[in-house]
Amino acid sequence: MTTTLATGAVTRRRPASRAGTAVTRPGFAWALPATVFFVLFAIVPLVLVAVLSFTRWNGLGSPEFAGFDNWNRLFDDPVMVKSLWLSLLLTLLGVAVQTPISILLGVWAAGHQRNRAVLSAIYFVPLLLSATAVSVLWRALLDPNFGIPAEAGWLFGDGNLFGSQSGAIGVLVVVGAWQFTPFHTLIYQGAARAVPPVLYQAAAIDGAGTVRQFFHITLPQLRNAIITSVILMVVGGLTTFDTVLILTQGGPGTDTTISAYYMYQKAFKGFDFGTGSAVALLLVLVATVISLAVVRLSGYDRMRSTSEGL
Amino acid sequence: MRSHTRLSRSLAAGSAAVVLGITLTACGSGSGSSGDSGSGEIHVLVYGDATNKVEKQIVDTFNKTSKVKAVLDTIPGADYQQKLQTIINTKQAPDIFFNWGGGSIKPFVDAGLLMPLDDMIAKDPGLKANFLSSVFDTAVVDGKAYGVPMRGTQPVLLFSNTKVLADAGVAAPKTFDELLAAVQTLKSKGVTPIALGGGDQWPTLMWFEYLYDRVAGPDLFKKALGGDKAAWASEDSKKALGMLKQLIDAGAFGTNFDSVKFTDGGSPALLARGKAAFELMGSWEYSTQQDANPDFTKSSLGYGSFPTVTGGKGDPKNVVGNTNNFYSVLKKTKHPEAVAEFLKLQYSDEFVQGQLAIGNLPTTSNTPKYLSSAANPAYSAFQFDLVKAAPSFQLSWDQAYPPAAITPIHQAVQQFFNGQIDENGFIKAMQALPNS
Repeated sequence: MTTTLATGAVTRRRPASRAGTAVTRPGFAWALPATVFFVLFAIVPLVLVAVLSFTRWNGLGSPEFAGFDNWNRLFDDPVMVKSLWLSLLLTLLGVAVQTPISILLGVWAAGHQRNRAVLSAIYFVPLLLSATAVSVLWRALLDPNFGIPAEAGWLFGDGNLFGSQSGAIGVLVVVGAWQFTPFHTLIYQGAARAVPPVLYQAAAIDGAGTVRQFFHITLPQLRNAIITSVILMVVGGLTTFDTVLILTQGGPGTDTTISAYYMYQKAFKGFDFGTGSAVALLLVLVATVISLAVVRLSGYDRMRSTSEGL
Repeated sequence: MRSHTRLSRSLAAGSAAVVLGITLTACGSGSGSSGDSGSGEIHVLVYGDATNKVEKQIVDTFNKTSKVKAVLDTIPGADYQQKLQTIINTKQAPDIFFNWGGGSIKPFVDAGLLMPLDDMIAKDPGLKANFLSSVFDTAVVDGKAYGVPMRGTQPVLLFSNTKVLADAGVAAPKTFDELLAAVQTLKSKGVTPIALGGGDQWPTLMWFEYLYDRVAGPDLFKKALGGDKAAWASEDSKKALGMLKQLIDAGAFGTNFDSVKFTDGGSPALLARGKAAFELMGSWEYSTQQDANPDFTKSSLGYGSFPTVTGGKGDPKNVVGNTNNFYSVLKKTKHPEAVAEFLKLQYSDEFVQGQLAIGNLPTTSNTPKYLSSAANPAYSAFQFDLVKAAPSFQLSWDQAYPPAAITPIHQAVQQFFNGQIDENGFIKAMQALPNS
């Protein structure tokens, strides 16, 4: 994404034909280390897990071939279906909450004023903390008897945030946003700084105010950044795990048992690696379909430069 | 187009990372044991924590006289069961390993990996006779002994804040009806009657374990564990569930118990600060309170056995909880004689003194001799007498069942307490548990 913008910026000053011939494509040898790494740590495990999903295996002895048993049971399993919906819901809520906040913060932080630089640096801190630390911290903050809810009964009632589905999902969304908004803010900050100032100057001459400039220049110019950020949120959201493990443990009941956590429960708490692998594979399939859909629908695969005509 | 392929690759990488978790963790268990038991070594694998001090001491004592040397390996923290599961059927497997008895070793027994200790016991009856029988039975699977107790017992007790009880004019309840009455009185004084760390789920389970035992006796659960699904639908089962419902509906646990945890200190703090009057918890509550609230522990931490149920079939002296931890032996060990000698040290005087010194309560018959040397003699003596007198000591359900049942059990008890499932829903959930 940044490379596309950078080449765009460079080609601006050069005749287009020369830029095309000057770049020679590197040979396959350059890609070899990354490819080997990718095959070893992504493709091979993926295939192994696919094989495991057709077996019964508790980690002792050798896996026994079980045909479609695991898969048949999964499709009849209400928790599995529910977990997929929960994964999607959490992802959607994450995107809906984080995107507007990070765009506004990112555009604001793109200004070069000193106070903005200082505040953005502070604001970046949550991203430096481990997800586990963040979750433990929030769990303590939200204790109904000794945490914030105990002091703000008008807002939290009896403070039973982790005892209802809506409360638990709310907590997961808020904690996720608190932790990851800084990252996406950074993306938007960079993208907003790359918007050519000449556009704003022209708009100012035509009499456009700050709000009109934001909606008619900044937002359209951020299009590619928005797509990048949303895709990262979708992939991250579907694979959320640590916050659920520490904050809700999938509860109350199965109300926040998202697919990634369900896989963990099956494989590592129940030692049913066959079913665990099937859940994992299903999650991979769903995530791939969704990611491809986002790529297609957003036009990310065509990725036009926003600097055309400048 | 180039960016497209690059993108879908990185997406595939991202999604494959989900899968990676399974395979990587399955391979990467670098246990300290080299598995080289041919050269006159036996490897002893234990859960890594403060108790290792005593285990190290026992291993040293053993090595002073034995030609075959014992090597102590530890797996720190909560990953113990996962890592054990990955190495137990490999060359890295230990000769002797720590476990919780019951469901934690059932899969290994089923896979034919463990050595029944009955022959060793026949040669040295002390290996069985020197332990409290209710505890020893926890590691008996299919009629054969597979483990020897090796740490301390942790029965579940009803703890209380005696100051809160005195202020409310409530006596420690001896029966379930008295407990219900106490709940009403305490509520009217604005106190949450019972602190419950429902967020952890297993504290909720303790209420089921005790009420089922009091109402139906230990046999109902034994039958259910053996595969008799009708046991869960029996009248006694329904009666126990009805009594639980009575407690919940009476507001005994307040309304926000699912947001409270024991593990982060939430529910012990409720008890210590007088916001709640009771807490049903394992015997470790005492040391937890002593660390967090020493003044409260000294002045007003009360403890007692679970109330009786009028007309119940279970003996009021029955106990539930963690009976003890156990050493089990792998069938393929090359030094069974050395192993037997090592196991004998688990009822030695040195072992008992060492455990008592660090706050554990051993379950050997020579323990009473040294109880006066315990950190808290009165508390230790109370527990020891309780466990010794108990006709049945039921291992926690989530440890009696094999690991695959843990999550469904925890979910079901939580859902029953918060009203998401009713009596029938709970019965169905328990009937669906895998028991092997």
